[in-house]
Amino acid sequence: MSALDKPTFERIEAYVLDRMGADERLAFEQRMATDHALRAEVELERENILAIELGGMERLLKAARAEHPERRNEGGGLSTWLKYAAVLAVLLGGTLWFTLRPNANERLFAAHFRPDPGLPVVMGATEGHTFHDAMVAYKLGDHDEAIGKFTALLKEDPASDTLRFYIGCAELNAGRAERALPMLQAVADQERSVFARKARWYAFLALVRSGDRNAAAAVRFEVDDPNGAKARAVLSELN
Amino acid sequence: MLVGQAKRLSATGTCGTWTGLRIIVLRFFLPVEARDNEPLAEPNWATGLRCNDAATVRALYKQHFPAIRQYVVGNSGTTDDAQDIFQEAMTVLWLKAKERSLAVGSEPGAFLFQVAKNKWLDVVRSAAHKHMKVVHDEGRLDVRAETPDDTEEKLQRLRSVYGQLDEKCRTVLDQFYFERKDLATIAAGMGVEEESIRTIKYRCMMKLRASRRTIAGEANTSGT
Repeated sequence: MSALDKPTFERIEAYVLDRMGADERLAFEQRMATDHALRAEVELERENILAIELGGMERLLKAARAEHPERRNEGGGLSTWLKYAAVLAVLLGGTLWFTLRPNANERLFAAHFRPDPGLPVVMGATEGHTFHDAMVAYKLGDHDEAIGKFTALLKEDPASDTLRFYIGCAELNAGRAERALPMLQAVADQERSVFARKARWYAFLALVRSGDRNAAAAVRFEVDDPNGAKARAVLSELN
Repeated sequence: MLVGQAKRLSATGTCGTWTGLRIIVLRFFLPVEARDNEPLAEPNWATGLRCNDAATVRALYKQHFPAIRQYVVGNSGTTDDAQDIFQEAMTVLWLKAKERSLAVGSEPGAFLFQVAKNKWLDVVRSAAHKHMKVVHDEGRLDVRAETPDDTEEKLQRLRSVYGQLDEKCRTVLDQFYFERKDLATIAAGMGVEEESIRTIKYRCMMKLRASRRTIAGEANTSGT
């Protein structure tokens, strides 16, 4: 299957979404008249967009449905049973929540952790840069895919602080604090890295989440690093 | 009926982001010669559906669901059944509006009722509901063409395509193609750069394209 480059994709998209000027539209339609492959691409993209719109419409209909609840006089026996079931579900849910509720470390981590948004990606698919692929996966929350691609690149460039930082971030985003730590600490120790401060903060949070309070307290922030004050506040809450 | 509720319509009938005020402007200032040369104007409710307008959907729901509920409940169904049937009928109406294939002068209430009635009669006549008694069954053959099989097949195919998208892609693509938000708005909402959203959208659409081409390729291979 041949690739469809981004400019062509976006021209087709503009045509399907009726966002072309009259002249451009005419020229595009003239080209379509003789270009069978382009015509096929237009039809495929039109249907894919329609599929996405159908998904949205069905979601919208579900929301509208919720505004028209069922009448109470139907199925009286069933609704009574449902009430008891609902009460039971609430009780069970409450018990489960109490049993499984996050501990203080996890609560503090959740309160202070904001995932790094990643680096901008500005390339087309045909360029095939693995780093950008990995960064797109990172931004989409496909943590394992991102880690796999960053790790492969790290083998080729073992000194890269960028790769280590984002592997650590992806591990932390995926909830694997212990696996994030070695990567983040390695970057935090590189004083000249542009990621050092952020890596130090994320390493601190990873330690908080892991419950290693002493190690978290041992993380040293630079005097002018605002994360230092935030870290002290977290530690005081842990006490 | 639904006057002024349709939105996102430009003078050429495209969907964008605009408010009902622009409808008023268009109505009063469209050149006379342009109106004379145009075919019958698309009704606002059809434009609203075509532009995925939430207010239009809610208004259609509010206005036309009661008749369908009455029919379904009067024919051994429940309000829940009526909701299911009405939603399916609304989806058919939406698709027709999208494809601009609604007959001239189509009235949404009549269309929805006919489609919903056919669908409910299919349910009632199915093996699981043979014990039900149909009270209103007149004129069924006359309205069968409202839900041709190819519409149902197309809806199933589209649902299957949508099902191939993961949650992250849906988040971006829904906002761009369904809600018609611009890239900058989506980027601001997700806390990333506009160019990243543009690339993510492209990548997600290419994934969809690749999977559909693979399926099509497999179908062709198995057919030879």
